[in-house]
Amino acid sequence: MNYYGKYPDKLGKFGEFGGMFAPEILMPALTELTEAFNKYGVDENFSKEFYQILKDYSGRPTPLYYAGRLSENIGCKVYLKREDLNHGGAHKINNVIGQALLAKKMGKTKLVAETGAGQHGFATAIAGAYFGMPTKVFMGQIDIKRQAYNVNRMKLLGAEVIPVKSGSRTLKDAVNEGLRYWISNVHNTHYLMGSVVGPHPYPLMVREFQRVIGRETKRQILELEKRLPTAIISCIGGGSNAIGISYDFIEDKEVHLIGVEAAGEGRNTDKHSIALGKGRKGVLHGAMQFLLQNEFGNIMETYSVSAGLDYPGVGPEHCFLKTIDRLKVSDATDKEALNAFKKLSLLEGIIPALESSHALAYLIRNKDKFRKEDIVIINLSGSGSKDLDIIKKYVKDTIK
Amino acid sequence: MPFLVAGDPSLEKFKELCVAIEPFCDILEIGIPFSDPIADGPTIQEANVRAFKAGITTTRALEGIKDIRSKTEKPIIILTYYNILIQGAQTIEESLDKTFKNLKQNGVDGILIGDLPIEEADLALKVCEKYDICLIFLIAPSTTEERLEKILKSARGFLYLIAVMGITGARSRVAQITKDTIQRMKEKTEEILPIFVGFGISSPEHASTIINAGADGIIIGSAMVNIITKNLSDFVEMKSEMVKFVSSIKNAMMALQKHNSRS
Repeated sequence: MNYYGKYPDKLGKFGEFGGMFAPEILMPALTELTEAFNKYGVDENFSKEFYQILKDYSGRPTPLYYAGRLSENIGCKVYLKREDLNHGGAHKINNVIGQALLAKKMGKTKLVAETGAGQHGFATAIAGAYFGMPTKVFMGQIDIKRQAYNVNRMKLLGAEVIPVKSGSRTLKDAVNEGLRYWISNVHNTHYLMGSVVGPHPYPLMVREFQRVIGRETKRQILELEKRLPTAIISCIGGGSNAIGISYDFIEDKEVHLIGVEAAGEGRNTDKHSIALGKGRKGVLHGAMQFLLQNEFGNIMETYSVSAGLDYPGVGPEHCFLKTIDRLKVSDATDKEALNAFKKLSLLEGIIPALESSHALAYLIRNKDKFRKEDIVIINLSGSGSKDLDIIKKYVKDTIK
Repeated sequence: MPFLVAGDPSLEKFKELCVAIEPFCDILEIGIPFSDPIADGPTIQEANVRAFKAGITTTRALEGIKDIRSKTEKPIIILTYYNILIQGAQTIEESLDKTFKNLKQNGVDGILIGDLPIEEADLALKVCEKYDICLIFLIAPSTTEERLEKILKSARGFLYLIAVMGITGARSRVAQITKDTIQRMKEKTEEILPIFVGFGISSPEHASTIINAGADGIIIGSAMVNIITKNLSDFVEMKSEMVKFVSSIKNAMMALQKHNSRS
């Protein structure tokens, strides 16, 4: 399979997905960002500085951990890529350090970001403090209420959390408001997109900063097992952890790449976030992608117990990988994810993020498909300590 | 050139407002609501929300436009977002074809797409040409000369100059950057396309300043919508205030014309 170096093309297209469907007023800023990324993205000193920060500050490389008791329970060899052990408790740090470093090189002095669950907002607040850049985080009013813990953490780090009262008052509206703010402040502000979504160059740039996960994983599994894994399973909201761990395996045809979306209350209800699996092509936040939308093209409200997966669209590269049959797309319900959450906690002493629990839930549901000698890697993209309030609410009636 | 959102505050009232202000404008600009209008400020967003609450859909908006078309000869321009236009068929191309055919049949003369820069406009340009609809492009103070040249090759109707670095919304004064941008853009576009200036114009004084700076026309959106927002409980008052407002702008424009032709 011949994939690397081809996507995205110069216009930011992954096949027919992606692109730069952005207001005119943002185009020069996006061009400036693209040029800066093209310059620094291949610059050895930039890469060195980036990895050095991730090493010293975030504790990379993160372990690839053989989960013995879980493996026994599932019936194949299960490894966990421990992104939850990053500073901040999730893979998000890779992206924010990369983008903030780039913004600094570009002479920007301020950061603005959107956040759903508060994880990306928290990560951006970390980067803002680390680099001394004042940070504004747009967050839906509803999310602010249900994620008080992260709101407090952001404020402690000096970030300004701005409540978004428009639309559904959740993540997609926070993106809208963040972009609007950027439109009025492009001269000194960098918009720090949290996932592989948005207009070009964000899907490319965020992928490149997250690829550190897959590079490490490949090296680690070859050291440990002397062979490539049978499958890599990740959860997909926007899809940054999934592309991060999967990208360096795309040309390794024998490795199954599996993405798990949030089925919420069920894939046949109207309360889910299955954009890849059930969405229709459309344009939102600057990119052509699969979207959950009504017949007229208005974006629908989505749902998942896991706020990080609660988004009506999905990264354009995932859309492309799905259409060329390189990415297998599946989903898991709230209930399955909560059960997986509990199982990992009990068997391994690791509390996974509700997002990552969706990946694990897929493996639990499909364990019969894997043979004893198969190697399955789960991207444990984040820690679940942020989710304890939500778990408490659900734990009594949902978990067996 | 005034701007109203189709279906705000309801489809019937919207149509009535359009008919009432029609005598005072040269072009009517009508927004087809989208759930996520990233280039619009709070005023227009709120108008979108009101229109959705009143049951507006793209189909119903176009029916409304057809009605207005039957009552005026003046050009009708719509403003919307790309996703609204690429629905209804299997492929993007087929959907665009279907939508633009529909627009033409309902009497639309031009279209402005808030999130479609020239780089992504090939398909839309093709279908606009096929159905003889003007694809209007936005330009901003930040638009580089290289991109302006590209835009000038494809744009039709007029150029919509975003007066400030920001989103839509009424502002209290005209910034120096606006005047400078008008002059800079005018030099490049003279004899190719007229420039209409929008984003932030809220009074006859603004309008005069902008025309004096060299613009060929002005677009008033948020200030119009503000009149709706303020008078939601009293439609008679809403309508009369809106007519008063557009006629005051029209008078300012006429006075300028007279003044300019005399000197």
